[in-house]
Amino acid sequence: MAVISFDKLTKTYKTGFRKKKTALKDFSLDIREGEVFGFLGPNGAGKSTAIKILLNLIFPTAGKAEILGSDVGEKEIRRSVGYLPENPYFYDYLNPVELLSFAGRASNMDSLKIREKTESLLNTVGLWNERKRAIRSYSKGMVQRVGLALALIHDPKVVILDEPMTGLDPIGRKQVIDLILKLKSEGKTIFFSSHILEDIERICDRIGMLVNGQLRRVIDFKKEKLIKSLEDTFIEEVEKAGGLQQ
Amino acid sequence: MNAVWSVALITFKEGIKNRVIFGIFIIALLLFAATTTVTTLFMRDIVKVAVDLSLSTVSFAGLLTLLFIGVNLFGKDLDKRTIYMVISRPISRSEYLIGKFIGIVLLALSVVVFLGLLSIVPVIMSKRFYYYTEAKFDWWIYFIAVIYIFIKLAVVSSIITLFASFTSNSFIALVLSLVAYIIGQSTESVRELLVSQVEKIEVSPILSYMVEIAYYVFPNISAFDLKTQAAHGLSINPSYIIWTALYAVFYMTIALAIGTLAFRRREFP
Ligand SMILES: Nc1ncnc2c1ncn2[C@@H]1O[C@H](COP(=O)(O)OP(=O)(O)OP(=O)(O)O)[C@@H](O)[C@H]1O
Ligand SMILES: [Mg+2]
Repeated sequence: MAVISFDKLTKTYKTGFRKKKTALKDFSLDIREGEVFGFLGPNGAGKSTAIKILLNLIFPTAGKAEILGSDVGEKEIRRSVGYLPENPYFYDYLNPVELLSFAGRASNMDSLKIREKTESLLNTVGLWNERKRAIRSYSKGMVQRVGLALALIHDPKVVILDEPMTGLDPIGRKQVIDLILKLKSEGKTIFFSSHILEDIERICDRIGMLVNGQLRRVIDFKKEKLIKSLEDTFIEEVEKAGGLQQ
Repeated sequence: MNAVWSVALITFKEGIKNRVIFGIFIIALLLFAATTTVTTLFMRDIVKVAVDLSLSTVSFAGLLTLLFIGVNLFGKDLDKRTIYMVISRPISRSEYLIGKFIGIVLLALSVVVFLGLLSIVPVIMSKRFYYYTEAKFDWWIYFIAVIYIFIKLAVVSSIITLFASFTSNSFIALVLSLVAYIIGQSTESVRELLVSQVEKIEVSPILSYMVEIAYYVFPNISAFDLKTQAAHGLSINPSYIIWTALYAVFYMTIALAIGTLAFRRREFP
């Protein structure tokens, strides 16, 4: 059974009076259990759109998406899903401990477990010493780290990260890579979008390339050795798709 | 319930830590101080004036809290997408909306409790100046009036929630809520004026029809105002108390039901 399945998804945004923009066209993809899947594509390709559909933040115009066999509209399924939004923004006046305690409670965790997880996660993302400070005084990268901790507080089976590396310094990026590999070793399924191509081959089992809302190519690194660099392959796919539509 | 309660709690925390609330408290304290000073200038009815001004201050501070913090608690969630961290959890859109409403009501409650207790000071001060006559005054009625200020604020919170369910724009939500409050405060007197016909004014049927609609659509804010009774120490009819409370519950239920219906289909791109 696929852990995440996109089934002929189409998403059209209204951009004005009678103007429309199709962000996803007939997009189908299955993510397998326990794999790390890198979701690549140029700006505006539709990556975040696909991810937001998974979290039921927006609804597909056609087609459907499922997680662990349940329609994404069912709220209970989100107990097993951890999500990091792109450019996350959290409550200004609260500190990470309060945010994590909310997230834990919303996912039905008991307070002892929340406390334990909060300490270990804030240590992992390097914010334990700053935990009493309100988020409004945090830097961009620190906010991103809070977002990572929030995505993982309830020990989800499925982890969905929208550009987890963006805004992080080299040490932060390495920490995220280590974190992804650790999650994989625990048997989690990880689906993440990224623009940062270095290390992708090392972390991912498979990657998908999305251009103009259509899936152009899926590469399984176990079966296929890339002849060219990932970067060149990426550019080639975009060119084959006829460049970027605006 | 866990879902609703966790949203309510985080909303309340975010609201109570907002700096604006200090500003509102300072305004309220200044108004209490002014009440105490002003009442000493009056030769008569000192207690009445003090009670009226104190209750008005509590109500005004509560309203400021709702309009400047309550509205923004929704606005920021929708504008800046903090809502992602909430509805990406096992929390439905309806639970989010109800939780948010409860959080804002808790915020109003804490303002009313804090300032309601503080408002005892100017009233007691005025009573000491007015010791030579038996002023008709009853603390029970005073506190019932304070409770009804809270009930009124809860109704206003439900209207804010309703508006937030279909607009993301804080400014529009603020203006709409304020307009609803102002209209709600006058519909009853306007309607009574038209119905009683004491002035024998010619009213077009369309106008009276519109007034009638407004009377039912907008909350009857003036019904919750027990300032006069508290100031004059008049007893309040228990059935009035009960019916007004039921009216509030009924109004909030309707507002939230419409709100959740609209919100269930909202997308957050
Ligand atoms: N709310 C919206 N209204 C209208 N169009 C939108 C909206 N959100 C996204 N789009 C359009 O949909 C397309 C896909 O956007 P999306 O955010 O999914 O891209 P992305 O692959 O995540 O890009 P990036 O790498 O820049 O994050 C873009 O053309 C974008 O302009
Ligand atoms: Mg994106």
